Amino acid sequence: MRKPKLFLPAIVLSLAAIAGLKLHLDGLPRVKTPGAGIVYVPTGPYVKAASFGYASFLADVIYVWAIQYYSNPKITNRFDHFIRIFGIIADLNPHWFDPYEVAALIAQDDAGDPELAIKVLEDGAARNPDQWFFPFSAGHYVRDKLKDPDRAKAYFKKTSEIPGAPELAKRLYADAAYKTMDYETSWATWKEVYDTATDPQIKKIASNHLYQVKSAVDIAVLKSALTRFREIRGRAAENLEELVTARLLKSVPLDFDEKEYVYDSKTGEVRTAVLFWKR
Amino acid sequence: MIISVIARNTFKEAVRDRVLYLLLFFSALSIVLARVLAILTVGDRVKVVKDVGLASISFFGALMAILIGTGLVYKEIEKRTIFTLISKPIRRVEFLLGKFFGLVLTLAVMLGAMSLIFLAVVFLHTFQVEFGLILAVVFIFLELVLLTAVAVLFSCFSTPILSSLFALSFYLIGHFSWSLETLIKRTPAGATRTIIQIIYMLLPDLENFNIKTEVVQNLPLPSGIWLGAFGYGVVYTAFILLLAVLVFRRRDFI
Repeated sequence: MRKPKLFLPAIVLSLAAIAGLKLHLDGLPRVKTPGAGIVYVPTGPYVKAASFGYASFLADVIYVWAIQYYSNPKITNRFDHFIRIFGIIADLNPHWFDPYEVAALIAQDDAGDPELAIKVLEDGAARNPDQWFFPFSAGHYVRDKLKDPDRAKAYFKKTSEIPGAPELAKRLYADAAYKTMDYETSWATWKEVYDTATDPQIKKIASNHLYQVKSAVDIAVLKSALTRFREIRGRAAENLEELVTARLLKSVPLDFDEKEYVYDSKTGEVRTAVLFWKR
Repeated sequence: MIISVIARNTFKEAVRDRVLYLLLFFSALSIVLARVLAILTVGDRVKVVKDVGLASISFFGALMAILIGTGLVYKEIEKRTIFTLISKPIRRVEFLLGKFFGLVLTLAVMLGAMSLIFLAVVFLHTFQVEFGLILAVVFIFLELVLLTAVAVLFSCFSTPILSSLFALSFYLIGHFSWSLETLIKRTPAGATRTIIQIIYMLLPDLENFNIKTEVVQNLPLPSGIWLGAFGYGVVYTAFILLLAVLVFRRRDFI
């Protein structure tokens, strides 16, 4: 004979027992190895084949899992499969940009490995050649973190060639070219920015940089002539006009504002009358 | 006329099935809980909501088509109700098509319900109804119609469990057949390659109905895909139904 009145207490008791046991089990000290769950990471194409039409959804799931996984500093070797895991997401959903961006940030900020970040962005660029974001970000990583203006120049050049890229890319390219002492490219690019800018602020920035590039070129020429003068005459030039008299220069160059350069005959230093950003 | 009467009755019978509502419940639950997954992500959260929503509609819709479809004809045979029907002036082809369209109607209603929930959840995030998402659901529906035809075909000669397995296999093959392209590329020209190419062309390619990623990410779709995929779905469904009719006509119920 069934006794329905006993059902409710039985259910409550069961639930209480389940909760109690769960708390008890959680309280037991167990040796846990964070990240030990990853034994095998398949390649992206295999995962895509096994997604059976749910590639985008699977990419979401792996991405969300990856964010949690890479946010756990207790997993000391978590970067072992970094490229492979984010590669799977990229294989599943190659035109989804968030994972590349976040992976690059994790690689830089958590792994402290800008080259890894650049590798992720390179992968994104290869899969999305029409997206300026990838070379633009890579350019920033090499410029700011690796302090490599040569590579930055190449990335910003690539960025500025992609339709829709921000106008800033061209300026960064010109600046990187200046830092690599490629004055010709830097001048031509800043000139282009100056000629095409409609914003007076941008025009002013371009003008300042044109001033900077011209000064760098002129000062290099002047310093070279001053060194030659010292070799020939055995003394430092009294002023810059002496370089013309000695036929080392056809004329003394003037800065972008048609003003004379400042020469200190005691130290041999040549500089502009004003700092380029204070014009 | 006869087909529509059977279809209506099939619809009435199908909507009484509790499994359908269980699947609808889980589908709605996963669509709503997509928000939780979205919270855990970094970046475009709406993308995750849309992905999960469309995946839920597709997945639970496929389960509905398989679980309900595979039992439809079999139940009639098992319960001997088929004798009552075929003793009337009803042709077997009409019976089968009625069953098929009844299930298609059921799926349309269920998909409509799931889509409403999905669009409402997306609307709460974006404050707009996206036409692309409706198109993606229409394509999922096309896929499910084909899957229903397959379920009905297997239901004509097999038990529901086996039919479900066969229909599920069809579904998996349909989403896997594109990988044969790689095999074709790697196979040297010759008889083997020709055979693989023929298999590749004849196997169902359900990826033709999968525009979920493109729609969610606003990626361009080739202009001919709409009509092409629609035609592919209609022709393949007609072909499967033809096979089902052929099998069902030869079926001896005693």
